[in-house]
Amino acid sequence: MAKDRLAEVLERYEAVIGLEIHTELTSLRSKMFCGCPVAFGGEPNTRVCPVCLGMPGALPVPNEAAVEATVLAGLALECEIARFSQFHRKNYFYPDMPKNYQISQYDLPFCKNGHLDVEVGEGASAYVTRVGITRIHLEEDTGKMIHVGGAEGRIAGADYSLVDFNRAGTPLIELVTEPDIRTPEEARRFAQTLRTVFLALGISDCSMEEGSMRVDANVSIRPRGATEFGTKAEVKNMNSFKALHDALAYEIVRQADLLDSGGRVVQETRHWDAAAKRTSGLRSKEEAHDYRYFPEPDMVPFEFTDEWIASVKAKLPELPAARRERYAAELGLPKQDARLIADDVALSRFFEQAVSVAGADRAKPVANWVLGELSAHLNATGLAVEECGILPEMLAELVVLIEDGTISGKQGKDVFAEMAQTGERPGAVVERRGMRQVSDTDAIEAVARRVLDAHPDEVASYRGGKSGLIGWFVGQVMREMRGQANPAVVNDVLRALLDQQDR
Amino acid sequence: MMSGRTIADMTAVEVRDAIERKEVSAREVAEAALARVEELDAHVHAFNQVCPDLALQAAARIDAMVAAGEALPPLAGVPAGIKDNMNLVGTRTTCSSRILQDYESVYTCTAVQRLLDAGALPVGKCNLDEFAFGSSTENSAFGPTRNPWDLERVPGGSSGGSAAAVAARMVAVSLGSDTGGSIRQPGALTGTVAVKPTYGRVSRYGLVAFASSLDQIGPFARTVEDAALVLQAIAGKDPLDATSVDEPVDDYRAALDAGVEGLRVGLVTDMLDIEGCAAEVREAVEGAARTLAALGAEVGEVALPMSRHGLSAYYIIGPAEASSNLARFDGIRYGHRVKDAEDVLDLYMRSRAEGFGPESIRRIMLGTYALSAGYYEAYYGQAQKTRTLIIREFAEAFERFDVLLTPTSPTVAFKLGEKASDPLAMYLSDVYTIPLNLAGLPGISVPVGLCPSTGLPIGAQIAARHFDEAAMFRAAAALERALALDMVPPLVRK
Repeated sequence: MAKDRLAEVLERYEAVIGLEIHTELTSLRSKMFCGCPVAFGGEPNTRVCPVCLGMPGALPVPNEAAVEATVLAGLALECEIARFSQFHRKNYFYPDMPKNYQISQYDLPFCKNGHLDVEVGEGASAYVTRVGITRIHLEEDTGKMIHVGGAEGRIAGADYSLVDFNRAGTPLIELVTEPDIRTPEEARRFAQTLRTVFLALGISDCSMEEGSMRVDANVSIRPRGATEFGTKAEVKNMNSFKALHDALAYEIVRQADLLDSGGRVVQETRHWDAAAKRTSGLRSKEEAHDYRYFPEPDMVPFEFTDEWIASVKAKLPELPAARRERYAAELGLPKQDARLIADDVALSRFFEQAVSVAGADRAKPVANWVLGELSAHLNATGLAVEECGILPEMLAELVVLIEDGTISGKQGKDVFAEMAQTGERPGAVVERRGMRQVSDTDAIEAVARRVLDAHPDEVASYRGGKSGLIGWFVGQVMREMRGQANPAVVNDVLRALLDQQDR
Repeated sequence: MMSGRTIADMTAVEVRDAIERKEVSAREVAEAALARVEELDAHVHAFNQVCPDLALQAAARIDAMVAAGEALPPLAGVPAGIKDNMNLVGTRTTCSSRILQDYESVYTCTAVQRLLDAGALPVGKCNLDEFAFGSSTENSAFGPTRNPWDLERVPGGSSGGSAAAVAARMVAVSLGSDTGGSIRQPGALTGTVAVKPTYGRVSRYGLVAFASSLDQIGPFARTVEDAALVLQAIAGKDPLDATSVDEPVDDYRAALDAGVEGLRVGLVTDMLDIEGCAAEVREAVEGAARTLAALGAEVGEVALPMSRHGLSAYYIIGPAEASSNLARFDGIRYGHRVKDAEDVLDLYMRSRAEGFGPESIRRIMLGTYALSAGYYEAYYGQAQKTRTLIIREFAEAFERFDVLLTPTSPTVAFKLGEKASDPLAMYLSDVYTIPLNLAGLPGISVPVGLCPSTGLPIGAQIAARHFDEAAMFRAAAALERALALDMVPPLVRK
């Protein structure tokens, strides 16, 4: 579906989007209500116990670290934290849910009424939109099912189904936004920005692909200027930020086409098929639920004191938004660079360590190297910054070598490649390879004179007005000096000689 | 054998002492209990499963300790029955239901483990009303348990097997679970001492849940002292049960000799007036009050008008929680599963329809209805408000009194089948016991007489403040000593 089709639709209709985001607290050591480890994958049904298998008589005991992580998320998103809260049981039958009820939260979530400011777009058209956060609550994840035979991997029509309970009981936070989102791009940016916050908090690895972050969307459209909401559809199964964007774009156009042709939008759950690039309705039989929520009697309610909440708040790390501000204001980074580094916890940690060695006045070149060569290296190798073999001090040393003129920027790239390969310090590479850049004006002038003497025709042309030849002369001098001359000095010396003799 | 009594007649305290003095071995005790089960259980059907291997292994450990001259734990060599809704590795945990008929325990219930750690010998798993739904043990998928006092009568329920096993001297003590009276009512009907501890006093981990906010494990015994010893062994915080409370456990045995001088006892008069309370029951309980007064207790009268609404609240809250707790029995991971299911819904519906008995189905449907959208406030919400009012009413009563005295059950043991077709009449059986579960309070049922017309036991319920089991043991022990009732059922006396 063409992008301009969406743009055309959005001229006539306003989309109203709310997101429901489930995030597994993958950084925790144990599951929500038992001591089983939290980890992705593994041999089926090996990380299970009587509690997370729902064996008769087993009881849930809440993981306090998960409660704290949820409250931490709430504080990071400016939520009100409940003083009194409790778990509820959400009752429905499904084979991936061992107890046939999910321990979740209902009318007393841990966090509510927060917001997140999201930067959308680039350059001149960039804007910030504030998305309200209705609530954040804590619950347990289900197991996973594999349906064999039948269509589209669904239980209906399958020959048989297998259940893996390794994931069952993994702590899961559910975040629900207000219907404040207006475009697929805003939705994508919200999800991406939320991810940077959760990564900064260190509560989850937020992997859309592995399912540790799962985004569902409610979307409806209404004619521009209307105040009533249209009928919404819930879109599920979007396994990447791109899928989130594309599914919403598809759904908005689909709904517009329906309305344009005199039809009506039906309230239903729709499944995004990334391969077919379309959404399709689930059979309504699968969704008519009365969850019969009631307070979980196996646990006592939570009563959070102001002191406890303050103690959690004290653990809040610097969040990406504040870091972006700081990089721009204190280190003078361009907005875009500041965001790219600040949004990535590991990269910003690396950057800040490098700056602390190289000096704040060299923050900009450090940022350039982090976003340039270093990021390219990480992309190419697939390594995380902590494990790539290049230490912040090494990059800082490299930047200093360039900035003080010891080597040229071009040589710096060679040194970077060498140090990435061998782990050798840049200073050592420069020494070993004799790359130390010559900035000595006398030495350069001697070579420059030789070059000018050897090429009288070119000198004449230059002096005749072909000033562009300066670059050619610089190249000749650099070649003579095997690249070790400081190009800026060479440039200056050549100009001086050429202009002097001109007089 | 001492003074004409068999080993099986000995109390837990006597058994332990005899073993310590090397008058009997734990093995002999185990064998005596198993022989008694062999002899009587065909008539009584107290047990769903007997586990001689586990009992004899436990006995061997005790005998080894005796041989090594080690200090013995408090229940060393005491034969014990365990209600078949508590997990014990090496046994099935059936809940007297077809749906768990072949279910082998994969872990051991905390309270059971503590009982075994205290030296008890696990003799077997005791029959119950399916999933503890009932007051007569007739709702067992494996057939009813009979009352050793009269085999034509019920032992009460739902812990009827645990009560009958102790009354018939097949075991010295047993564990039951009490959600609305399931320990105390069968205690009264079988002439045993039966304790429902404070909610949170004993871990529920490993007890197959009926109603999580009401369930509590407690002991049956033939003496108050034995009951106190068992509770001592199983009480205390368990990290595996978030509702168990980290409150110090009193020395219950010390309370037994304290006497009742100055103890403020409230006789709950409006409960005696409830229609359906048999005259003999009323007289026996009033007699108990006079006895306590004669022993120096300050006996007064109190009314608990809200408590009569407990029954209605209970039959909303209990089934509501049960409908959710029993959802896990779906045939997917364990338990009964139909062989030829067409799809997952068919598998659920038919496995459950075949696996659950009629009373379980009734309660699941009641609870599902009470929690349904549009009905929740009118039923569950209202029941919780009633519960709050009952809690307040008790709190006020306990400002004036240390313990409260009521009948345990409005009648003596009734005949098998007598109330089976009338669930509401059956539910009334627990009218005195239910309010304590709703308020989380501890209660003990202690024999206070034999019915003049039937010769059947009558029990009185003594309730105390939260975590003040010591006060109720104190009153119960004084009554037991003063009344000195002969509570040997005819079946045993022969």
